[in-house]
Amino acid sequence: MALAGGEAAHYNQPIAQSAFGTSGAGLPGNMSSRDQALQAYRFLLAALLLAAAPAAAQQVTLERDSLLYAEPRLDAPQVATLKLGATGDVIGKQGAWLNLKTPAGTGWLFSFNVRFPSQQAAAGNTGAGTAAGRLFGPRRSVSVTSTIGVRGIDEEDLKGASFNADQMKLLEGYAATKEAAEQKARASGLAPVGVDYLDSKKQ
Amino acid sequence: MSSGWRWTTAALLAALAGPAAAASIDFGRIFDVGRDLTTAAKGMDESEEIAVGREVAGRTLGAAPLVADPELQAYVNRVGRWIAMQTERPDLPWHFGVLDTSSINAFAAPGGYVLVTRGLYEMLETESQLAGVLAHEIGHIVQRHHVKVMQHSALVSAGARASQRDRNLLVNNLIGTGAEVLARGLDKSAEFEADRIGVVLAARAGYSPYGLVEVLHLLAARSADDATLALLFKTHPAPGERLTQLADVLEPRVAALPTGKEPAIRQVSPNTPPPAAAKPAKPAPAESASALQQEEGGTTIPSTGASGGGLDAGGVFRGIFGR
Repeated sequence: MALAGGEAAHYNQPIAQSAFGTSGAGLPGNMSSRDQALQAYRFLLAALLLAAAPAAAQQVTLERDSLLYAEPRLDAPQVATLKLGATGDVIGKQGAWLNLKTPAGTGWLFSFNVRFPSQQAAAGNTGAGTAAGRLFGPRRSVSVTSTIGVRGIDEEDLKGASFNADQMKLLEGYAATKEAAEQKARASGLAPVGVDYLDSKKQ
Repeated sequence: MSSGWRWTTAALLAALAGPAAAASIDFGRIFDVGRDLTTAAKGMDESEEIAVGREVAGRTLGAAPLVADPELQAYVNRVGRWIAMQTERPDLPWHFGVLDTSSINAFAAPGGYVLVTRGLYEMLETESQLAGVLAHEIGHIVQRHHVKVMQHSALVSAGARASQRDRNLLVNNLIGTGAEVLARGLDKSAEFEADRIGVVLAARAGYSPYGLVEVLHLLAARSADDATLALLFKTHPAPGERLTQLADVLEPRVAALPTGKEPAIRQVSPNTPPPAAAKPAKPAPAESASALQQEEGGTTIPSTGASGGGLDAGGVFRGIFGR
């Protein structure tokens, strides 16, 4: 099963990277000609996808005054100071940063300082599996969230539900040992990092 | 006034304890149990916390079963356990599951139970986003937020005058309170705290710290009257407000936070049927019905006609944050 989805996601990732210029793992230094061909193909595909969807540059609004940096780094030159309420088009993202094109210039700012517009409520428009999602998101099969009219569980369902012993047995059977979790993390290139908790007060 | 108030409270307690328990509840004893609730919640040790959490989680599974995709469930458990190992409570019996419902939500129950809905899971584009969601829920458990609510619950203090009685009934009522907290939500400050913890735990586990921020953007972009989000929006502060709170603490720390990894997320097996409707669906308009058919057709080709050629924010997010 992982083939269809997994392969697609794996395949899609470099496209997004080349399209948005994100650093990610970077390119291997000594690429074979096959790799280079593949890379060129991916870049071409990304360019085509971008060209096919000029409307995908999404306008966002600043939630607070924010500096616009030439690169996604705090020590990069500052391009402009954007005020609360200013707007710009998102043309890429990298970690905490969004690449924004504004009348005052193009640069990077923190994603949590902007707000994307809410989509219009409309029957059949539940957000998943949209045109842009299919265009830019990982190629994935039908999303259950687009099943129309099925609203799922709510407060009453939760309050009224009774214990399901069979499902609990299943849940308990799926538990992962620390060893299994560590092994999976290593396989995904994850290593533990020391990070202090965030203070709730402004620093 | 006093007796009327008592009856209301008794009825409320009975309702919270669920239909199965309601039948066996002796109203005369409920207030006796209240006393025990107070003592038990305050003095709840870890094994009791786990027992109560297991019951609350089991009831949630009664509302929606697990997605019938064992590999997916095993995967989510490995991701979740790895994050939980970065906390002060690495040895709780951590359990993670994906509920087969189109609702967009995630739940934590005391003692290490974390449940994410399929609706939310399928919105996610990266494992770092999943990590952000799981880490938020893990934060609730590590901080014992639900236990604290039980402790401070008005329901608990209402019954504090009575004397000590039946242990089973006591546990049943604690569970009822726990299920109620799941359905009613924690207070805003607990949610903001879990967000701050979520960012940090994901980073500690080696992921991008910003997966949760991306998920909050995804949620904020969805319509407020989206039925699949009703419970989440009812039980949590608005996603925009959560982003604002996070921005306050993140902005000064960005330079110090690690970049982290954004591995691809495992997808629900395409062989897995969509979740059964929990309740009869509202009649869908004709255009929706055709959209549904189109979805079921499994096409992944962009369709310019489906929504008037417009690109909605949710879709763009999938692009922006989808890697």
